[in-house]
Amino acid sequence: MNPKRLLALTRGGIMESLHYRLGIFVTLFANLIYLVLVYYLWKAIYDSSGTDVVNGMTFSDTMIYLILATALFNFLEMFVVWDMSRAIQSGKIVLDLLKPMSFRKYTFWSYTGNHVVQFVLTFIPTFIVVMIVTGGAIRMGLNLLWFIIATVFALVINYNIEMLIAPICLYTESTWGINIVKETIVLLLSGASIPLAFFPEKARIVVEYLPFRAVYDIPLSILLEKSGSDTCEGLLKLFGLQLIWLVILTVAGNIFWKIAVRRITVNGG
Amino acid sequence: MRKRGLKFYLSIYRKILIQDLKSKMSYRADFVISTFGMIMTNLAGFITFMILFHNFPTINGWDYYHMLFLYGFSLVALTPVQCFFDNNWNLRFMVQTGDFIKYCFRPVNVFFYFMSEVFDVKGLGQLAFGIGTIVYAWIHIGLEVNVLIILKLILFLFTASLFMIAIMNFAAATCFWLKGSGYVMVIMFRFKDFAKYPSSIFQGVFKVIFTFIIPIAFIAYYPSLVILEPGNVPLLSWLSPLIGLLFFFASYKFWMLGVRRYDFTGS
Repeated sequence: MNPKRLLALTRGGIMESLHYRLGIFVTLFANLIYLVLVYYLWKAIYDSSGTDVVNGMTFSDTMIYLILATALFNFLEMFVVWDMSRAIQSGKIVLDLLKPMSFRKYTFWSYTGNHVVQFVLTFIPTFIVVMIVTGGAIRMGLNLLWFIIATVFALVINYNIEMLIAPICLYTESTWGINIVKETIVLLLSGASIPLAFFPEKARIVVEYLPFRAVYDIPLSILLEKSGSDTCEGLLKLFGLQLIWLVILTVAGNIFWKIAVRRITVNGG
Repeated sequence: MRKRGLKFYLSIYRKILIQDLKSKMSYRADFVISTFGMIMTNLAGFITFMILFHNFPTINGWDYYHMLFLYGFSLVALTPVQCFFDNNWNLRFMVQTGDFIKYCFRPVNVFFYFMSEVFDVKGLGQLAFGIGTIVYAWIHIGLEVNVLIILKLILFLFTASLFMIAIMNFAAATCFWLKGSGYVMVIMFRFKDFAKYPSSIFQGVFKVIFTFIIPIAFIAYYPSLVILEPGNVPLLSWLSPLIGLLFFFASYKFWMLGVRRYDFTGS
């Protein structure tokens, strides 16, 4: 596939997202308010606990983790489930299927534009704010590079989770339900709503090997140099976990999509 | 146009509700999965809560059972917005496509007609979950039970529910002015997750913001103090029914202002 054609889709996505500039700024602003909520909650929690370090996480570690998880959430958020169900209802999916490119690839690359815009306009500003407020608590070194690589993996894994869930709508005619189940599971088990370090020992062992962790927890752990990612061996282990899930989910998603696509029935259009 | 009484609106509501339930019954799988999804979100909220208390035994002087009470209270208070005002989520699509015009042509209140079109059954699961949590916490705290307290509880639950309805009305109505304003609703909906924590954790200017501008402190904290600490109820708790009505009325006016501004997009 000619990369130029794929980049054209990215460009289209960027233009589309920039059309809703106001939305991005309101999101950024509202995120700041949301972070204030998170800040007060965890400050109260740490104040009442009486110790500075809980499960190897200090207050500032927890804050950075949760703030960047929120920023990462905005950046990685995709609406494949909604888009697909709407495309089926309106019949637009027929046009997407007829395109001289596989549907999966087309959807992924159409979304990259949005990811680029979100990364530049929400993730980077949030990151800078965190750096200023915490006075450089994040070490600027190779970990930044590893973080970016891990984030790209996370993006692909997240997309594949979406693409594995979305075709279920073809069978069930349910969108809201499927989407909320997916979102709840991903947010809870990926560490986006509460850092995985706080999970009870037994639950953590299980959660650490699930694919959801690869979306938020691994990139953030690498950035903050936690979970043994400061050693070469630990780093390889985390990347290995991401890579294994990436392959499994991509293959599974591909197979499931090929089966599910035969089910599509479009009324009129 | 002649003023219609409550009875008229109730009979209309019943008729529209039956139609809505009939149409929902034709998508049985969707209904089952949505209900399951609702239970999952509540369960996930609960697990997050448990994990927090697994690590930290008290939060800002609030112990486990008091927090649990607050949590159950917020779940019940958030049920009406889920059950009766869920159509707000469709508002922006209706406005964008022009379908919204149909509501303007009926000889009933636009706001009423629009909201009555959807009744969200899955909110009832949340209600059951919330009531169960309140009862469990109630027993463990050892609060007394008498008619007066139960009446107070119902009144203040009702009060608390007005705040989230008002927030969502405001958020939804922004779509009359802004294109693609879905994110406003999504963000406001996320704020509600903080209703289950005691608002005494906020300080300074943010205390004011989260009490009077984005009133999440009223979704559970202030109204529930009437039940939890009968000896020491702050003034704001007693005032909350009044403030709730005020917020609701303001959001209704704002919503209707949007309707008046709405000129439909052809098609």
